[in-house]
Amino acid sequence: MSGTLRKAALWTGVVCPRLALEAAGRMRAPDENADDRPRAAHDTVGGQIRLVAVDEAAARLGVRTGQALTDALAIAPRLDSQPRDRRAEAAWLEDLALVAYGFSHQVALTGDGVVLEVGGSRRLHGPLDTLLDALDEALAPLGVTTRLGVAPVAAAAGLMARAGSRAETLDALEKTLAAWPIEHLELAPAERRKLDGLGVRQVRDLVRLPRFELDRRLGQGVGRYLDQLRGRLETPLVYWQPPETFARTVDLPVPVRRTDALIFALNRVLDGLEHWLRVRDQRLTRLHVTLVPEDQGPKIAFSAGLGQPGFQRDRLLEILKLKLEPIRIQSDIETLRVEADSVSGQRPPQADLWSGTNINDAWPALLDRLEARIGEDGLCGVAPKSDHRPEKAWAWTKPGTTAVADDAPERPAWLLPDPRPCRLDDLRLIDGPERIETGWWDGQDCRRDYWVAHDASGHRLWVFREYKPRDGWFVHGVFG
Amino acid sequence: MPLNSNSISKPISLGQLLADRDDLWRGRQRRPAPARSTGHAALDAKLPTGGWPRGKLTELVPERAGSGELDLLLPCLAECTREGRSVVLAAPPLVPCPQRLHRAGVDLARVLVVRAPDHALWAAEQCLKSGLCGAVVVWPQRNQVNERAVRRLQLAAENGEAPLFVCYPPGCPAPPSLAALRLAVHAGGELEVLRSAQGRANGPIRLAPDNVVTLAARRHALERRA
Repeated sequence: MSGTLRKAALWTGVVCPRLALEAAGRMRAPDENADDRPRAAHDTVGGQIRLVAVDEAAARLGVRTGQALTDALAIAPRLDSQPRDRRAEAAWLEDLALVAYGFSHQVALTGDGVVLEVGGSRRLHGPLDTLLDALDEALAPLGVTTRLGVAPVAAAAGLMARAGSRAETLDALEKTLAAWPIEHLELAPAERRKLDGLGVRQVRDLVRLPRFELDRRLGQGVGRYLDQLRGRLETPLVYWQPPETFARTVDLPVPVRRTDALIFALNRVLDGLEHWLRVRDQRLTRLHVTLVPEDQGPKIAFSAGLGQPGFQRDRLLEILKLKLEPIRIQSDIETLRVEADSVSGQRPPQADLWSGTNINDAWPALLDRLEARIGEDGLCGVAPKSDHRPEKAWAWTKPGTTAVADDAPERPAWLLPDPRPCRLDDLRLIDGPERIETGWWDGQDCRRDYWVAHDASGHRLWVFREYKPRDGWFVHGVFG
Repeated sequence: MPLNSNSISKPISLGQLLADRDDLWRGRQRRPAPARSTGHAALDAKLPTGGWPRGKLTELVPERAGSGELDLLLPCLAECTREGRSVVLAAPPLVPCPQRLHRAGVDLARVLVVRAPDHALWAAEQCLKSGLCGAVVVWPQRNQVNERAVRRLQLAAENGEAPLFVCYPPGCPAPPSLAALRLAVHAGGELEVLRSAQGRANGPIRLAPDNVVTLAARRHALERRA
């Protein structure tokens, strides 16, 4: 990093003020989050279960973060407290970073959000307000409460977001910072106590302190942090990069076996997948899902693919639903694992000029849907094969196989899958015979005379008299 | 209303203008529903609907499995594949012979056969809803024939242009339905209009059997080849 600040640098901070709370209930189906109970998230802190986040309803009842869970439940018996889910929080931040990466190549994770450099993106996205609106819109589908802030330095962007304010120049930032109480800064509790003892209440008091004194009493960390905030020192950042492959593991809050709850959780994972595909410029070919039951029973694995690489979310969800429906889930599922196979490159979307639907794309989509429910062998085309033996002269093929039939003599519309024995007394031969004598080269030689015959009720059948290897009359097809 | 080229050159009567609109209610006069040629000129002329009604249900009641319903539909199916649309055969009772289809002019790459009888109705419904298929033919199982199932298919068909054909299992009474056309297929290619939305045809329709097999003519050549 260079020592001088680029004038054009402008950082946007995105924070999720309710991340712990929302992540704890993220994978629950919406109906379970629908009741109006006060909510909180708890975690084990120093051997005690304490609350780490509370919502407004709980706060109104007097529940505070840092309270022991037992105390909180005594105050508010209806409190719905979920264990903190750090994995879900990390996944959510990852999704947040993926969205941010669509706006800037300089993204860094903070503890409760991301900061991204948008000064360089202004030429693409237009003025700052337009860009922030677009970012807001892109973040909305994630379903997490976010707050944006703007600052000319990275270190302050997160703080500005938490306070919900904007400063586009260093002077404006200086003014905003000066009025803040000390609690807004990211300081260690010991440092905060010392500053409190010094009578430092607001950031302006801290800035007024002689640097030499500050360093002597509190060590150099606070002074350096202050310099970074005020843009006098470059903030060292570890830039975030989107992962090379997409894999997510999700712990369900409550083990479930209901398909709709599993689909809901999968849908949440697709959020991240969609952003990942976009920033990595990849197209999905197959999605592998593994369901891990809570009793360490056999894992259930299935995969869903689209006929053509790409990402159509509703189609993919529909296929996942169809795949899930026939699976008998014996015990409740506690973990979902999702991995994606993808290929790179973008195919320009080809939309039909008139109807807006693309038949080239819609037909494979229909086949995908049918195949997901029926299975691959239930869906086929029929093709001729060049063999003189009529029962070997046709085959089921993959749908859409182009086949050219050689000029066979006239055949009936229906063939029996296997010829069936019949009695000559019931038939009246009308036309024939067509002699077929073949197959001597592969040991399945046969000699037959094919006839067209009427049965008693006037239907025309295709029958043959076989001399080799069996002897007798057989029905092989029906005209009509 | 867009003006077509000949409307500029010659005046059109008011009646003709009104006849071109399909959003007018004409009392007891019914406009013929759009139909697709059956490929048999004689049959088109005889059918009250003037062909296979598009986006509507046509019921075929064969006297016996394979008593002619496929041959009856082949020209229409061939025409669909020539237009580049796929045709769906859902749960056919026997194997449709590819050589016969090919001879009738059907592009085999556009034939989709659903071989899972349990899912046949569902698959047919999906294909109709997609609006991508030229024609859909369903052979329901005996236990699948009920008013509700047929009604569902019919509603799905009305979304699109494709004619839908339901061939009932022989000897199975067809459920009450609002089919545009119901034909009985007798042995020897004789058809009888059982009901039609456009009134009844009089008497059975005999189709010339155009698939008479001329084996005798080819017999010698084949014997030489074998």
